[in-house]
Amino acid sequence: MKNKFYTVIIALFLSSNSLIAYVQIDEISPDFKLKNSFGDYVSLSDYRGKKVILEWTNHGCPFVAKHYSTGNMQSTQNYAKDSGAIWLSIISSAPGTQGFVSSAKANDLTSSRNAIPTHVLFDSDGTVGRMYDAKTTPHMFIIDEDGRLKYQGAIDDAGGRGFMSKDLLEANNYVKKGLKEILQEKSLSIPVTKPYGCSVKYAS
Amino acid sequence: MFYFFLCYGSFLTAQTEYTASNSKIILVSESTTLQPKDSLYLGIKFELEKDWHTYWENPGDAGEGAVIKWSLPDGVSTSEILWPGPERIPVDPLMTFGYNNEVILLTKISTSDKIDFPIELNAQVSWFTCKDICIPQDGNVSIVINEGELNKSNDYAEIKQYVDKLPKEFLENYKVEKLDEKYFLQSTLEKNNFDSIYFFPREYGLTDYVENQIYEKNENSFSLEVKASKTGMKLPYFDGVIKAINSEGTFFFDVNFPLNIQNEDKNLFLLLVFAFLGGLILNIMPCVFPILSIKVLRFIQYSEDSSVETYKFGLSYSLGVILSFLLIALILIGLKSSGEVIGWGFQLQYPLVISILFYLFIALGFLFMSNLVIGSQLGNLNSLVKVNNESFESFLTGILAVVVASPCTAPFMGSAIGFALLQPSFNSILIFLSLGIGFALPYFILSIKPTLLSFLPRPGPWMETFKQFMAFPMWASALWLLWVLSGQVDSDTVILVLIGGLALSLSLWLLEKNTTEIKLVKWILRGTAIVLIGFSIYIIPTSYSTKKEIFTKDEIYSEQRLRELRNSNQIVFLNFTADWCITCKVNERVALKTQKVQKILKRESINYLEADWTRKDEMIASKLEEFGRSGVPLYLLYPSKGKPIILPEILTEDILIKYLLEVR
Repeated sequence: MKNKFYTVIIALFLSSNSLIAYVQIDEISPDFKLKNSFGDYVSLSDYRGKKVILEWTNHGCPFVAKHYSTGNMQSTQNYAKDSGAIWLSIISSAPGTQGFVSSAKANDLTSSRNAIPTHVLFDSDGTVGRMYDAKTTPHMFIIDEDGRLKYQGAIDDAGGRGFMSKDLLEANNYVKKGLKEILQEKSLSIPVTKPYGCSVKYAS
Repeated sequence: MFYFFLCYGSFLTAQTEYTASNSKIILVSESTTLQPKDSLYLGIKFELEKDWHTYWENPGDAGEGAVIKWSLPDGVSTSEILWPGPERIPVDPLMTFGYNNEVILLTKISTSDKIDFPIELNAQVSWFTCKDICIPQDGNVSIVINEGELNKSNDYAEIKQYVDKLPKEFLENYKVEKLDEKYFLQSTLEKNNFDSIYFFPREYGLTDYVENQIYEKNENSFSLEVKASKTGMKLPYFDGVIKAINSEGTFFFDVNFPLNIQNEDKNLFLLLVFAFLGGLILNIMPCVFPILSIKVLRFIQYSEDSSVETYKFGLSYSLGVILSFLLIALILIGLKSSGEVIGWGFQLQYPLVISILFYLFIALGFLFMSNLVIGSQLGNLNSLVKVNNESFESFLTGILAVVVASPCTAPFMGSAIGFALLQPSFNSILIFLSLGIGFALPYFILSIKPTLLSFLPRPGPWMETFKQFMAFPMWASALWLLWVLSGQVDSDTVILVLIGGLALSLSLWLLEKNTTEIKLVKWILRGTAIVLIGFSIYIIPTSYSTKKEIFTKDEIYSEQRLRELRNSNQIVFLNFTADWCITCKVNERVALKTQKVQKILKRESINYLEADWTRKDEMIASKLEEFGRSGVPLYLLYPSKGKPIILPEILTEDILIKYLLEVR
C-alpha cells in the first residue's frame, strides 16, 4: 500500500514536470543546459517567450550534407529567423564518432556553409538527445513561446528511398509550414512525421 | 557477320558488377535465357564488407532502403523491389531494420509476346552502406538475357535462397488487438510450431522499434505483445512482416490486419453523456440519498427565510463534489501511469478500505437515528460536519457525498469508469468531470430554487422521522459492504469487523448520552468512547486478499462443483486462466467479460466456472492434463449432456457467442 502510494505520488510528480523520457506534442519541452561553440552555457529556458527550433546535426552525415550543400537548411534557418524563432543546432555525436567536432571546427562549419543558427550546442554524452528521443540527423523540433512542443520529425517530405537524388527545393518543408501555422495561431496540421537521415551517433 | 560479332561482343561485356567503397553490387539472374510471355527473378546482390549493412524497405529509426531504377527494352516489365525478410540491427539506443553483410533485392521481370532477343537490362542502383557511419552510393549494372528455355544459371541457388526469404502469406488464423498502447498479435499454430516470432512494421508510427516484443507460446496458439509507437499516430493497418523461427529454419510472413481506430472520438461524447446520467442516478442510490435528502430538507426551512442565500451552499457543495471527482481521476491516472493495471472498483479490493467504509455507514446510520452532533456545540442537529461557516460545511458535504458514493459506483458504473481509464488521460478527466457535474446538479438546482420543494409539507416533526428512517438505507449499504468483505477475508475477520462496528456504535451512543454536568464522569465517558473508537480502528484488517477479482464461491472451479453442475445437466463454461497469461487476459477483455457475453451466459443459464492457475494448483493441473494440456488458456464448454467442446485458444466475441449459442 505504502509503495503504491509513493509510486502514485512520483508518477504525478513526473507527469507534472515532464521529466519523462519522451516529449509529447503540446506538452512542455524539458529544459536543458548545454555549452555552445563559444564556450558559453545556453539553456532552453533562456528563450521562453520565443519560438525555438532544435536541429540535431552531424556534418559528416550525407543526409545533413545534402541539406546544407543545397542550401535547404540555410533557407529554413532564414525563414525561422524572419519568424522570430531561435535556432539551436545540437550535436549529440559522442567523442570519436562521426560529427563530433571542436568548437573551432563547429564555427568553421557555420561560416563556410553560411549557416545562421543562434547557437551550435554540444551534447557529447547524448543526454539531451536521449531526453528528446532524437533519432536521426537531421531531426527537427519546434517549440512555441510557451515552451510547448509543436512539431517533431523530418525537416521535409523528401525522406524515403531515393532521397539522394531528390530535389529538396521541391520538397514540402514541415518546419516552415509549422512556423507559418504557429504564426497564424493555428494548431499544426502535421505535428509528427518520421524523422529521416543517419542515426544520431550516441555514446554507447 | 563481323558487325554482328562486334555487336554481340558489346553485349557480352555488359557490366554485371559495380564496386563502390565498402560494398559491391552484382546483377544476378536465375536464368541466362528467357522466352516471350515468361518471367524470371533478377536481383541486385549487395556484397558488403564484414559488419556493414544496408536497409529494408522500412529502415527503422534511421537510414534508407535502396532504390533501383531499371532501363528496359520494349516488351519487358518489372515488379517493384521484392524485399526479403530483414534482420534487426540495433544501433544503441536506436533500432534499425536491414541486412548485414549480404542481401539480394529481387525483382521479377516479365516479357510480352513481342520481344527482340537478346535483351539488355540495366539497373541504376542508389543505396546506403552503413556501419557506424553511412555512405551513400550509386552504381550502374546490366545484364544480357538471350532467348531460350529457362535454365538454371550459376546464381540460381543463391537467388532461390532469397526467394525463400520473401514474406509469404500467413496461413494461420490471426488477429490483432490494441489494448493500453500495446498491440497483441494472436494466432493459431495449427500448421506450424514456432519457437520465436518478431514483428517488423512496414510503416513509421505503428510500433516502437526499440522495445522488446514478448512472444508467448501456448499449446497451439501464440500471442505477441508489441508496444505501440509513442508518437500517438493512428495507423489504419497493423501492417508488416513477421519473422518466425523453429527447428526447421527461419520463415517470413506478411501480416496485415485492420485496426479499429475511429470509434474513440465518437464514443467520447456518448461516454460523457452516460457519465452525466450516471452521476444523476447516483443521487438516489442508497449510499448517497439519505445524506443528500437530509441536507436538502434544510432548504425548506430556509425557503421561509429569504435572507439566506441557499444558492451559495449549492455552489460550494458542487465545488466539493467536482474537486473530489477530479482528485479521484488524478489518482487513477497516476496509478495508471505508474504501470498499475486497474479498473474501477479496485478500491473494493482492499479489506482496509471496505472496513473503513463499513464503519462510516454504520456511524452515519447511527447519527441519523440519534440526535448527536460531532465536534459542535452550535446545536444544529441536522449536520454531520457542522462548522461555523455554512458554505464551507456544504463544501465538506460534497466531499462526504463522493466518499459515500464510492462503493455504490463500483458495481454500478465499474465498466464505464474502467473504460474511461483506457482513454487518454485528458478524456478520463473529462469523463470524471461529467460524472461530478451530473452528481452535483440536483442539489445545485434545489439550492437555487428551494421552492421546487414546496410540494413537501411544512417543516415539522416529520422531518425528524424521515431522517431516522434514512438510517436504514445506510445500514443496508453497510451490510452490502460486509458481504463484499466476506469474499476476501475469513469469517473470523468479518466477525471482528462487526465487533468494531458495535464498539463504534457504543462509543457514539456514549457521546450522545453524555450530558452530565459532573466533569469527572463526563471525561470518563468521553475517554471510554475514544478508547472504543481506537479499538474499532485497531482491529481493521489490513492484509490484502491476494485475489485480484472478487468471485462468489460458485464461480470458482472445483472438480466437485463441476460434477454437481454436470449431474444436474447444466451447461458449464470452464475458463482456465492465470494472471500471468497474456492470451488469457486479452481473451477475457475482448470476449469473455464483455457485457454481451455476460448477458448471453445469464440468458442461456450457462454456468461460468473459473480455474485460476496463477498459483500452483494440483487439481487444475491434473484437469488440464486430462485434456492433453500443460498450460493455460483452455476453454471448455460442457453441453448439458455429452463430451465437452474445446474452444479455440484465441477468442473473439463473435466466436465465443457462436459456441455459446450452439451448445444448447
